[in-house]
Amino acid sequence: MKKITAIMLALPVMAGALACKKNEPPPPPPVTAPATTLPVPVSVSGISLGNAIGEDKRVTASLEAFGAKDTIYAVVETAGTGHAKLRALWSFVKGEKTAKVDETMLEFDSAAPAVNEFHIAKPSGWPKGDYKVEIFLGDATVPAATKTFKVG
Amino acid sequence: MANGQDKKDDDMPDFSDVQGGASSTAPAAAAYEIYEVKSGDSLSRIAKHFYGSGNLWKTIFEANTDILKDPNKIFPGQKLKIPPKS
Repeated sequence: MKKITAIMLALPVMAGALACKKNEPPPPPPVTAPATTLPVPVSVSGISLGNAIGEDKRVTASLEAFGAKDTIYAVVETAGTGHAKLRALWSFVKGEKTAKVDETMLEFDSAAPAVNEFHIAKPSGWPKGDYKVEIFLGDATVPAATKTFKVG
Repeated sequence: MANGQDKKDDDMPDFSDVQGGASSTAPAAAAYEIYEVKSGDSLSRIAKHFYGSGNLWKTIFEANTDILKDPNKIFPGQKLKIPPKS
Protein backbone atom coordinates (compact mmCIF):
# COMPACT_ATOMS: atom_id res chain seq x y z
CA MET A 1 0.00 0.00 0.00
CA LYS A 2 2.84 2.29 0.91
CA LYS A 3 4.43 1.46 -2.42
CA ILE A 4 1.31 2.40 -4.41
CA THR A 5 1.02 5.69 -2.52
CA ALA A 6 4.61 6.49 -3.23
CA ILE A 7 4.19 5.79 -6.96
CA MET A 8 1.06 7.89 -7.15
CA LEU A 9 2.80 10.78 -5.45
CA ALA A 10 5.78 10.49 -7.76
CA LEU A 11 3.82 10.39 -11.02
CA PRO A 12 2.77 14.06 -11.08
CA VAL A 13 6.30 15.10 -10.19
CA MET A 14 7.72 13.05 -13.08
CA ALA A 15 5.05 14.37 -15.46
CA GLY A 16 5.88 17.90 -14.40
CA ALA A 17 9.51 17.29 -14.93
CA LEU A 18 8.85 15.95 -18.43
CA ALA A 19 6.61 18.91 -19.25
CA CYS A 20 9.30 21.31 -18.12
CA LYS A 21 11.89 19.50 -20.16
CA LYS A 22 9.71 19.82 -23.29
CA ASN A 23 9.76 23.62 -23.02
CA GLU A 24 13.49 23.91 -22.41
CA PRO A 25 15.45 25.44 -25.23
CA PRO A 26 17.72 23.04 -27.07
CA PRO A 27 21.12 22.73 -25.50
CA PRO A 28 23.81 24.84 -27.06
CA PRO A 29 26.12 23.05 -29.43
CA PRO A 30 29.22 21.70 -27.76
CA VAL A 31 32.01 24.17 -27.56
CA THR A 32 34.87 23.18 -29.83
CA ALA A 33 38.31 24.72 -29.81
CA PRO A 34 38.93 27.04 -32.75
CA ALA A 35 40.65 25.22 -35.63
CA THR A 36 44.38 25.76 -35.45
CA THR A 37 46.64 25.10 -38.39
CA LEU A 38 49.94 23.69 -37.30
CA PRO A 39 52.84 24.82 -39.45
CA VAL A 40 53.84 22.15 -41.94
CA PRO A 41 57.62 21.79 -42.04
CA VAL A 42 59.38 22.29 -45.35
CA SER A 43 59.52 19.23 -47.57
CA VAL A 44 60.76 18.52 -51.07
CA SER A 45 57.85 18.28 -53.48
CA GLY A 46 59.70 17.90 -56.76
CA ILE A 47 63.03 17.98 -58.56
CA SER A 48 63.88 18.52 -62.21
CA LEU A 49 67.06 19.01 -64.21
CA GLY A 50 67.79 21.31 -67.11
CA ASN A 51 70.46 23.45 -68.72
CA ALA A 52 68.58 26.74 -68.37
CA ILE A 53 66.08 28.29 -65.99
CA GLY A 54 63.50 31.03 -66.40
CA GLU A 55 62.79 34.00 -64.18
CA ASP A 56 60.58 31.77 -62.07
CA LYS A 57 63.69 29.61 -61.48
CA ARG A 58 62.07 26.60 -63.10
CA VAL A 59 63.92 24.71 -65.84
CA THR A 60 62.91 25.78 -69.33
CA ALA A 61 63.07 22.15 -70.48
CA SER A 62 63.51 19.01 -68.40
CA LEU A 63 66.64 17.08 -69.40
CA GLU A 64 68.47 13.94 -68.33
CA ALA A 65 71.47 14.27 -70.68
CA PHE A 66 73.77 17.25 -70.99
CA GLY A 67 76.52 18.61 -73.17
CA ALA A 68 80.09 19.04 -71.98
CA LYS A 69 79.82 22.83 -71.74
CA ASP A 70 76.35 22.99 -70.18
CA THR A 71 75.56 24.65 -66.90
CA ILE A 72 73.48 22.02 -65.14
CA TYR A 73 70.57 23.12 -62.99
CA ALA A 74 68.70 21.08 -60.40
CA VAL A 75 65.45 22.79 -59.53
CA VAL A 76 64.00 21.70 -56.21
CA GLU A 77 60.46 22.66 -55.33
CA THR A 78 59.57 22.80 -51.67
CA ALA A 79 56.31 22.96 -49.76
CA GLY A 80 55.68 23.88 -46.15
CA THR A 81 56.79 26.80 -44.04
CA GLY A 82 59.59 27.70 -41.69
CA HIS A 83 63.35 27.81 -41.76
CA ALA A 84 64.84 25.34 -44.19
CA LYS A 85 68.27 24.09 -45.17
CA LEU A 86 68.66 22.34 -48.50
CA ARG A 87 71.94 20.76 -49.51
CA ALA A 88 72.79 19.57 -53.00
CA LEU A 89 75.53 16.99 -53.38
CA TRP A 90 76.63 16.49 -56.98
CA SER A 91 78.65 13.34 -57.76
CA PHE A 92 80.30 11.64 -60.67
CA VAL A 93 79.49 7.93 -60.74
CA LYS A 94 81.79 5.33 -62.25
CA GLY A 95 80.74 1.79 -61.44
CA GLU A 96 80.84 1.44 -57.69
CA LYS A 97 82.95 4.57 -57.24
CA THR A 98 81.73 8.10 -56.82
CA ALA A 99 83.66 11.37 -56.85
CA LYS A 100 82.28 14.52 -55.31
CA VAL A 101 81.74 17.20 -57.92
CA ASP A 102 80.25 19.96 -55.77
CA GLU A 103 78.29 20.55 -52.59
CA THR A 104 76.14 23.62 -52.02
CA MET A 105 73.82 24.61 -49.21
CA LEU A 106 70.85 26.92 -49.41
CA GLU A 107 69.20 28.35 -46.30
CA PHE A 108 65.92 30.21 -46.40
CA ASP A 109 62.77 31.07 -44.50
CA SER A 110 59.78 29.78 -46.35
CA ALA A 111 56.29 31.21 -45.97
CA ALA A 112 54.93 29.54 -49.10
CA PRO A 113 55.96 26.93 -51.64
CA ALA A 114 59.38 27.86 -53.01
CA VAL A 115 61.37 27.09 -56.12
CA ASN A 116 65.06 26.61 -55.41
CA GLU A 117 67.79 26.14 -57.97
CA PHE A 118 71.24 24.62 -57.61
CA HIS A 119 73.67 24.81 -60.48
CA ILE A 120 77.11 23.65 -61.47
CA ALA A 121 79.37 24.67 -64.34
CA LYS A 122 82.78 23.46 -65.43
CA PRO A 123 84.62 25.86 -67.74
CA SER A 124 86.96 23.12 -68.93
CA GLY A 125 84.02 20.88 -69.84
CA TRP A 126 82.26 18.02 -68.14
CA PRO A 127 83.84 14.59 -68.46
CA LYS A 128 81.53 12.14 -70.18
CA GLY A 129 79.78 9.74 -67.88
CA ASP A 130 77.10 9.27 -65.28
CA TYR A 131 76.32 11.77 -62.58
CA LYS A 132 73.81 12.19 -59.77
CA VAL A 133 72.57 14.97 -57.59
CA GLU A 134 71.22 14.25 -54.12
CA ILE A 135 69.13 16.77 -52.22
CA PHE A 136 69.25 16.68 -48.44
CA LEU A 137 66.83 18.49 -46.18
CA GLY A 138 68.17 19.88 -42.91
CA ASP A 139 70.85 17.70 -41.37
CA ALA A 140 69.41 14.51 -42.82
CA THR A 141 71.89 11.91 -44.00
CA VAL A 142 69.38 10.29 -46.32
CA PRO A 143 68.54 12.32 -49.42
CA ALA A 144 65.03 13.70 -49.80
CA ALA A 145 65.39 13.41 -53.57
CA THR A 146 67.92 12.03 -56.04
CA LYS A 147 68.27 12.51 -59.80
CA THR A 148 70.73 10.85 -62.14
CA PHE A 149 71.91 12.26 -65.46
CA LYS A 150 74.46 11.75 -68.16
CA VAL A 151 76.99 13.93 -69.90
CA GLY A 152 78.14 13.13 -73.40
CA MET B 1 83.10 25.82 -56.57
CA ALA B 2 85.41 22.96 -56.57
CA ASN B 3 86.20 20.83 -53.70
CA GLY B 4 89.52 19.19 -54.32
CA GLN B 5 89.17 17.61 -50.93
CA ASP B 6 88.45 14.17 -52.31
CA LYS B 7 91.17 11.60 -52.32
CA LYS B 8 93.05 11.65 -55.56
CA ASP B 9 91.87 8.80 -57.67
CA ASP B 10 93.56 8.26 -60.99
CA ASP B 11 90.40 6.66 -62.37
CA MET B 12 88.30 9.68 -61.59
CA PRO B 13 88.24 12.99 -63.47
CA ASP B 14 89.36 16.24 -61.88
CA PHE B 15 86.49 18.46 -60.75
CA SER B 16 88.61 21.14 -59.10
CA ASP B 17 87.40 23.88 -61.45
CA VAL B 18 83.68 23.25 -60.91
CA GLN B 19 81.70 26.35 -60.02
CA GLY B 20 78.50 25.84 -58.07
CA GLY B 21 75.78 28.05 -56.74
CA ALA B 22 72.16 28.25 -55.70
CA SER B 23 69.25 30.65 -55.33
CA SER B 24 65.62 30.56 -54.29
CA THR B 25 62.32 32.31 -54.80
CA ALA B 26 62.08 32.41 -51.00
CA PRO B 27 63.09 35.79 -49.60
CA ALA B 28 66.40 36.21 -47.81
CA ALA B 29 67.83 32.97 -49.07
CA ALA B 30 71.54 32.44 -48.50
CA ALA B 31 73.65 30.04 -50.51
CA TYR B 32 76.99 28.59 -49.49
CA GLU B 33 79.45 26.24 -51.05
CA ILE B 34 80.50 23.49 -48.65
CA TYR B 35 84.22 22.83 -48.43
CA GLU B 36 85.76 20.02 -46.43
CA VAL B 37 89.12 21.02 -44.99
CA LYS B 38 92.00 18.81 -46.01
CA SER B 39 95.48 18.44 -44.60
CA GLY B 40 97.67 21.47 -45.30
CA ASP B 41 94.78 23.89 -45.82
CA SER B 42 94.64 27.38 -44.38
CA LEU B 43 91.83 29.91 -44.63
CA SER B 44 93.91 32.06 -46.96
CA ARG B 45 94.61 29.08 -49.20
CA ILE B 46 90.91 28.22 -49.31
CA ALA B 47 90.07 31.88 -50.00
CA LYS B 48 92.56 31.90 -52.88
CA HIS B 49 90.95 28.78 -54.30
CA PHE B 50 87.39 30.10 -54.14
CA TYR B 51 87.83 33.85 -54.52
CA GLY B 52 91.16 34.14 -56.30
CA SER B 53 92.64 36.07 -53.36
CA GLY B 54 93.97 34.79 -50.07
CA ASN B 55 93.29 38.19 -48.53
CA LEU B 56 89.60 37.34 -48.42
CA TRP B 57 90.13 34.64 -45.75
CA LYS B 58 88.13 36.76 -43.27
CA THR B 59 84.97 36.29 -45.35
CA ILE B 60 85.25 32.55 -44.79
CA PHE B 61 86.17 32.93 -41.11
CA GLU B 62 83.20 35.19 -40.41
CA ALA B 63 80.82 32.75 -42.06
CA ASN B 64 82.05 29.96 -39.82
CA THR B 65 82.41 31.49 -36.37
CA ASP B 66 80.01 28.83 -35.12
CA ILE B 67 82.75 26.23 -35.57
CA LEU B 68 85.92 28.33 -35.83
CA LYS B 69 87.25 30.29 -32.88
CA ASP B 70 90.74 30.95 -34.23
CA PRO B 71 91.34 31.57 -37.95
CA ASN B 72 94.69 29.83 -37.66
CA LYS B 73 93.16 26.63 -36.37
CA ILE B 74 91.25 24.61 -38.90
CA PHE B 75 91.27 20.86 -39.02
CA PRO B 76 90.94 18.22 -41.75
CA GLY B 77 87.36 17.04 -42.04
CA GLN B 78 85.78 20.31 -40.90
CA LYS B 79 83.07 21.42 -43.29
CA LEU B 80 83.24 25.14 -43.95
CA LYS B 81 80.56 27.32 -45.45
CA ILE B 82 81.98 29.36 -48.30
CA PRO B 83 79.80 32.41 -49.01
CA PRO B 84 79.65 33.74 -52.53
CA LYS B 85 82.26 36.36 -53.38
CA SER B 86 80.68 39.72 -52.65
